[in-house]
Amino acid sequence: MTEAIQVENLTKVYPTPGKQKGFLAVDQINFCVHQGEVFGFLGPNGAGKSTTQRMLTSLLTPTEGSIHIFVHDLAHDAYDAKLVIGMVPEESNVYTELSAWDNLIFCAQLHQLPKQTRQKRAKELLETFGLWEKRHDKAENFSKGMRRRLSIAMAIIHYPKLLFLDEPTSGLDAHSTHIIHDLIRKLNADGATIFLTTHHIEEANQLCDRVAIINYGKIAAIDTPERLKSAFQQVQSVEVSLHTREESSLPSNLEHSLNSLSNVSTIVKNGDKWRLYTQNPSALLPEIINYAGQNQLQIISLNTLAPSLEDVYLQITGGQIGVVQPNQKDANTPQRKRGNR
Amino acid sequence: MKPFLKRISAEISLGWAVVRKDIKVYYLRPGMVMFGLLMPFFLFFSFSVRREMAAAEGMARLLALTLFFTAAAAGPFIIPLERRLGTYDRLLIAPMSLITLLLSKTAVGAIYAISVSVIALLFGVVFFHAPIAQPWLLAAGVLLGAFTFSTLGLIFGSIPVRNPGDVQMPSNLLRWGLLFISGVFIPLADMNSVARAIAYLSPLTYAQDLMNQAILGSGQINLWLDLVILAVSGVIFLIPSLKLHQRGKVLGY
Repeated sequence: MTEAIQVENLTKVYPTPGKQKGFLAVDQINFCVHQGEVFGFLGPNGAGKSTTQRMLTSLLTPTEGSIHIFVHDLAHDAYDAKLVIGMVPEESNVYTELSAWDNLIFCAQLHQLPKQTRQKRAKELLETFGLWEKRHDKAENFSKGMRRRLSIAMAIIHYPKLLFLDEPTSGLDAHSTHIIHDLIRKLNADGATIFLTTHHIEEANQLCDRVAIINYGKIAAIDTPERLKSAFQQVQSVEVSLHTREESSLPSNLEHSLNSLSNVSTIVKNGDKWRLYTQNPSALLPEIINYAGQNQLQIISLNTLAPSLEDVYLQITGGQIGVVQPNQKDANTPQRKRGNR
Repeated sequence: MKPFLKRISAEISLGWAVVRKDIKVYYLRPGMVMFGLLMPFFLFFSFSVRREMAAAEGMARLLALTLFFTAAAAGPFIIPLERRLGTYDRLLIAPMSLITLLLSKTAVGAIYAISVSVIALLFGVVFFHAPIAQPWLLAAGVLLGAFTFSTLGLIFGSIPVRNPGDVQMPSNLLRWGLLFISGVFIPLADMNSVARAIAYLSPLTYAQDLMNQAILGSGQINLWLDLVILAVSGVIFLIPSLKLHQRGKVLGY
């Protein structure tokens, strides 16, 4: 199988003024992205996602290691590699002073599309992305979702074989997110390899054939979402919703009581439900039923849940399952400093 | 077409696309148009009021100053601004060499400077009947001056920063320094040897002398030296821009 991306011992150390040792943002990572797959690149803020993506797109010079885009060595043959890639950055980088049409035509010129092809392609993309009616409007008057769609259209105008998407749905409403997810699926179905950088776990779960989780500059895990989940069976859980039989309120010590059941390792309240993490759901279920019976509580719903990709992600990146992590940003402060470069 | 020629043709086409885009996005803005129209008038009045000066002499000085101030008027700020908006990444990942990108940025500044200089020239010729001794030399001088001063401005645009304000101070400091040591305020002939030696360090001195040769018909420096120094300076000024861009790729800008 042809590899769309092949990365070997990729390292990035940012020079730090006044210090002999720089800041290590990416540390000897190795991975490959197969042609035709949607590859998710997950990680917390400052983990090295953007740095890696910028190196893969030739925007940043690696300190060490090699990158091959298809057969092209990025260090020596960047021109040919650039011909086959497209990039959608996290912030939509459209020219706000230009119309949607002019933005697309400019990008088509940058990728050497012949005049007739570029006009045909621009029309086709504006129609696909629902921007045809607004083609003569300046992009400064566009909503965030419209700019994002235009930004994606600009990145794919030259039919790239490899498309880099950095947080493509960040800050978008559900409708725009849905449109962009459909577009990613369609682009992939049309043959494009997609490198999706995201910290939206569910997005990666829905869209990606394989995911890599990067943490503190190192690849912590890389596999298909389902195989990653199956490797973390210890984070299975039971979700239960309880009500009182009468109109009285639930006991104040309910959470404490559920947490003290013998098979519960962690408990998290999600709205009107409790999620009880366990290594043995089949033993926990009768415990919950007994507890409810003894305390005159009615079970509204009771479900066993396999580990989600989010659970896997949190396990790998060191976050506590289901718990809001006020200190996580602080813990990553040194890396976040360079995170968006 | 041979691959090499095909590549050159593609690079020219891409560079030209960047030039047209920059003109549309940055140079045809009302502020830049007003600046271009008013700058020569301000310069003219600054240097002619209460001074005994022939129209041709004033014209030569005005053209040199117009080129100097307009060629690098926006160049130092556009790249940091594009870096901040993320639009510069789009240019950097396009299949185009860095030198093509830098030359296209230079060309935009030069085209703007030439356009403004033509307005100033027409103003001088029509209203003050300034004679032009060597029109072809004037054309060459305007082209060379615009190129050299635009590459000078590009050095500041290449500094790896994302805030245009960060390059404003060093850019202005250098430009005003080069202006004061040049032979624009005090003619070279009136300078002592030390001042003259310092004046030779400023490319504006050669542009001013070239304008004098083209409009007045005489200058203080050898004509070929003016032409060669301006052309070579323009090429040399591209080197720090290239190095700064490479440094920016290491630092993450």
